[in-house]
Amino acid sequence: MSELSLHALQQQMMNYLTDDELTIAQQVEEHGGISRDARLHIYKNAYQMRLKETIDNDHELLGMYLGDDLFDQMVDGYIKAYPSNNTSLRNFADALPEFLAKHTPFSDYPLISELARFERLLMVAFDAADTERFTRELLIEIPHEQWPSLVFRFHPSLQISHFNFNTVETWQALKQEQAPQPATKTANTWLVWRNKQRLTQFRSISTIEFSLFDMMLKGNDFSSLCDYLLTQNLEEDVSQVALNYLLAWIDDGILANR
Amino acid sequence: MANKQAVGNMKGEHSLSFSKTSVPEHFLGFGLGLRTEHFQDVIDNKPAIDWFEVVSENFMVDGGKPKHYLHSIREHYPMVMHGVSLSIGSTDPINFDYLRKLKVLTNELQPEWISDHLCWTGAHEKNSHDLLPLPYNDEALTHVCQRIEQVQEFLGRPILLENVSSYLTYKNSEMTEWQFFNEVARRSGCEILLDINNIYVSARNHDFKPEDYLNGIAKEKVKQFHLAGHSDYGDYVIDTHDHPVADPVWQLYQKALQRFGWISTMIERDDNIPPLAELLAEVDTARAIAKKTLGSIT
Repeated sequence: MSELSLHALQQQMMNYLTDDELTIAQQVEEHGGISRDARLHIYKNAYQMRLKETIDNDHELLGMYLGDDLFDQMVDGYIKAYPSNNTSLRNFADALPEFLAKHTPFSDYPLISELARFERLLMVAFDAADTERFTRELLIEIPHEQWPSLVFRFHPSLQISHFNFNTVETWQALKQEQAPQPATKTANTWLVWRNKQRLTQFRSISTIEFSLFDMMLKGNDFSSLCDYLLTQNLEEDVSQVALNYLLAWIDDGILANR
Repeated sequence: MANKQAVGNMKGEHSLSFSKTSVPEHFLGFGLGLRTEHFQDVIDNKPAIDWFEVVSENFMVDGGKPKHYLHSIREHYPMVMHGVSLSIGSTDPINFDYLRKLKVLTNELQPEWISDHLCWTGAHEKNSHDLLPLPYNDEALTHVCQRIEQVQEFLGRPILLENVSSYLTYKNSEMTEWQFFNEVARRSGCEILLDINNIYVSARNHDFKPEDYLNGIAKEKVKQFHLAGHSDYGDYVIDTHDHPVADPVWQLYQKALQRFGWISTMIERDDNIPPLAELLAEVDTARAIAKKTLGSIT
C-alpha cells in the first residue's frame, strides 16, 4: 500500500474530476457491494451535474436558444476548458461569453456569445451593492445656481454594454416563448440595472445618451453635458432636453445619491 | 440579538420556554434551512419556527433582493450561518479573501454560530464544489487542526464542523471517521454539527453501524443536528437533500437524542423544495420525537 501525501492525494482526486485521470483509483479501498470505480463515479457525476445545473440556472434562455444537444456540447466544453477556480458557483460561468466567442461551432454565430453576456449582466445587476438613490426631492433641494457644477454618480448595479446583433431582442422573444427573429448585425447599446423595486431592468440607449453616460463616468459636470447637447443640433431647447434626461435617470433609479 | 426566551415571546402560539437546567444554554429549539423559495412566505406569515440556518455563500454578495429579504427575516428570527466553501482540509493556502467576506456577513447577521464541513472542496486552485472526504490519518489530522486554529483566530470565534456523507475510503486512512472527528474537535477547540442523515448514508456506504458513530462522538462537543433526505439505490445511498427525512434517519435521530440530549435540530432541504408547510411539518416531527424521547420542555 502506498503512503500518498495529502497534497498528492488531493491533486489526484482533482485530476480525476477535471481530467478523467484514474490514478486516484489506486488509493481507494475496494470493499462492499460496489466497486471503487463506481464509488469514484459518484463524485464525478456530482461534479459534472452541479456545474451543469449552475450553467442551466444562470443561462436559461441561452439554453432555449441552443437546444439540448448544443447546450450539452457547450457545457461539456466549458467545464473542460474553464474548471472552477472560485469558491462560489455564482462566478463559475463568468467566462462563458468568452468561451462561446472562441470555440466552434458557437463562435460561428456571435449572437450566442452576446446572449450569454447579456444574461451575465442581468446577474451582476441582480446582486450588485445597494446604495441610496438620487431623487427628485434631493434635486429640488439643490439651489439652481449649483446645478451646472453637479456631478452625478451611478447606482452600483448599472451596466452599459454594446452589442453587435439583435441580441437583447432575441432574449426578449425567448422570454416570451416566441421564436426570435434571425440574427441581424446591428450596433446597439443597452443599460442594465436594478431598479427601486429591486427588480432587474434594461433599456436601449441612443448614441447621444451613451455619450452623456460616458462623460458622466469621466466625471464631467451637468454644464458639460449641456455643452455637449448644444453640439448635437437638437430641435428642442437644450436645457429642456438635459432636464428630461436627468429626470428620466432619477425616475429609473440609476443615479446614486451624490 | 434575540435570545431563547425572546423567540418564544415573539410567537405567541409557539412559546418556547424551558428550564435552563434541563437543556443546554445553546439550545435554539427546532429550525429550518432558509431557502429563497420561502422568503416571501416567511416574511408575510412569520411561521412558528424557532430559528433559521442560512447558507453563507448565498449571501456573500454586495446587495440586492435576497440580501434585503435576509435582513428582514433576521429581524424576527435567530439565525446560524452554514458554509460550504471553507475547504478546511485542502492543501491549498487558506482563502483569506473568502474568510474576510464570511466575517463581513457574520458582522451583519450576528448569527448564534457559524459552521462548515470537515472535508476539502478543492485543491491546486481548482474547486470541485463538492464536500470531498479526507483520509483519516495523522497527517490530515495535524493539517486540519492547524487550519481550524487559524480560521478560528481570524474569525474571533470557534466554528462548528459537520460530518459529510462519503462514498469511498482511502487506503491510507488509519482510524475511523468518528475517531478522527473527535480528535479534530479535541485538539482544535472546534465544535460539532452532527448530520444524522450523513451518518446513516456513510454507514450504509461503508458498512459500519451508525450507532457506533454516535457513541464514538464526545457528548460535550455536539451543538447542532442536521436532518435531511437521501436517495437509496439499494447497494449505495446518496445524500441528495431532495426528499423528506427517511424513517431509518428518524430512528437514528431518536438514538442521537438519547445520547446527546437537547440539541438544536433543523431540517435541511436543498433540492425539490416543497411548500414551506411541508417542511414545517417535518420540523414538528423532529420536535415530537424529541419530546417523546426526552420528555416535555417545561
